[in-house]
Amino acid sequence: MIPHHLRLYFHFVLARIRTQTAYRTSFLLDVASNFLITALDFSMIWLIFERFGNLADWSMWQVGFLYGIISISFGLSNMVGRGFDLFQDEIRLGTFDDKLIRPYSTFYLILVHQFDLKRLGKIGQGLIFFLIANAKLSMSWSIGKVIFLLATIVGGTCFFIGLMVVGATLCFWTVQSIEFINIFTHGGNEAGNFPISIYKDWFRRLFTFVIPLAFVNYFPTLYLLDKADPHGAPAILALISPLVGIIFLTVSSQIWRFGVSHYQSTGH
Amino acid sequence: MRVYLEFGRKSFQKMLQYRTANLAGMATNLFFGAVRVLIFTAFYQASTAEQPLSLHQVATYVWLSQSFLMVIRMWGRPEVSDTIRDGSVAMQLTKPVDFQFYWLADEFGKSTYFLLMRALPSLLFSIFLFRIMIPADPLTWLAFLTGILLAVVLNQSYIVAAFSSTFWTLDATGVGGFCFALQTFFSGFVVPIALWPDWLQQIASRLPFEGMINFPFSIYLGEVTGVDILVGFGKQILWIAFFVCIGRWGIRRGLTKLVLQGG
Repeated sequence: MIPHHLRLYFHFVLARIRTQTAYRTSFLLDVASNFLITALDFSMIWLIFERFGNLADWSMWQVGFLYGIISISFGLSNMVGRGFDLFQDEIRLGTFDDKLIRPYSTFYLILVHQFDLKRLGKIGQGLIFFLIANAKLSMSWSIGKVIFLLATIVGGTCFFIGLMVVGATLCFWTVQSIEFINIFTHGGNEAGNFPISIYKDWFRRLFTFVIPLAFVNYFPTLYLLDKADPHGAPAILALISPLVGIIFLTVSSQIWRFGVSHYQSTGH
Repeated sequence: MRVYLEFGRKSFQKMLQYRTANLAGMATNLFFGAVRVLIFTAFYQASTAEQPLSLHQVATYVWLSQSFLMVIRMWGRPEVSDTIRDGSVAMQLTKPVDFQFYWLADEFGKSTYFLLMRALPSLLFSIFLFRIMIPADPLTWLAFLTGILLAVVLNQSYIVAAFSSTFWTLDATGVGGFCFALQTFFSGFVVPIALWPDWLQQIASRLPFEGMINFPFSIYLGEVTGVDILVGFGKQILWIAFFVCIGRWGIRRGLTKLVLQGG
């Protein structure tokens, strides 16, 4: 069953890639502009460090390390989870009805329906800043750390997809305007570009306990760069962080199922 | 002139439909403002060095730019590119109005909508909740409002020119992306230009973008005064003329080779 789903998924993804690359110039411009626009986020980090120097015990490239991890995760989630981002159209136009009569779960169908290749731009720039940070910090990697890093990126991607799923689920009630969830997806990405420890208490708690953004890059970076949390968070939090994202997505998919059971078609 | 006012009014009315979207957008603007103010706060508190702007000034700058973002039409996408792509541009070309002024009027309607529905409420939040600075001198207010008005027109002539490039590319996302990136960075939206390294400030002052964000808000902060304000207005007006001319030229060239899409 699982291999069949996977095979079908790759089949759909390939089809999406072919449509998106049909107009090559336009596609390359899209990727390049996605690269450029998202790389601007780093310009804030650069300009601020240029002006103020180090922040507590964080240097610019340590923040660049954080930035690289969250950018890759966020880019991947936008690439894979695009269907949930566009879900309001399915509700508004009533095309979700078609999905209900197919022999696959709606969650799976929405996931396979879209794949946004231009996000390679965001992922690429995140990767570049990550690699530069890595060189500047002269990191030494063990196999265990590499596996941990990959798991962290998977966990972070799951976390952001989870948020998009929650946003899409809201559409079952509101029909339109899921832009509200952008506060947590794009806003979370923006906030996560800097160490979460620098924010005010209420903000830090919100993005650690309610919306577990801190597990996407902050706790893992503490572990990988061998730093301590100034607010005394136990080191074990770092090691479980990949799991947090996966659990978050699992919970979101349950919320999604609840939403589907409350679905009323807008009709055609 | 009357007819363009009417186009502006129509575009204003169209925007009125999206009430929930506007609320969600306002919440997003405020959230991003909060994040950026918190980041600046952390850096100011960690550093003892004297800075060109105080934290209060930077916070005011951030809240103002978040409030006026949509009025200035930062990252605005004029629908001109959609009409070229789906061919409905043909209908519009049969009307006895100027193509470029039509789209400028359309953008102006949106700006007016966002001034009333987004900027004013956000500004009230900023004043009462976040205690931003309030200039005492009515002349500062006058200069600031003039600066904002010119910033709006400057940015509109910029995006209308950029999106008219759809005549050649059919798809504006790529070109639009580059234009937005230039604008976001060099307007001083990300970090106020006064905090930049000197060499980069030199570059920014030779470009049109600082007139979109940094200049009007620096008037508000009292960082630009006297003759410098008039010089700034002059620069804004020159750049407006530049983009209006580029846009006109591009549109005229584009129309001679326009192939209608769709049916």
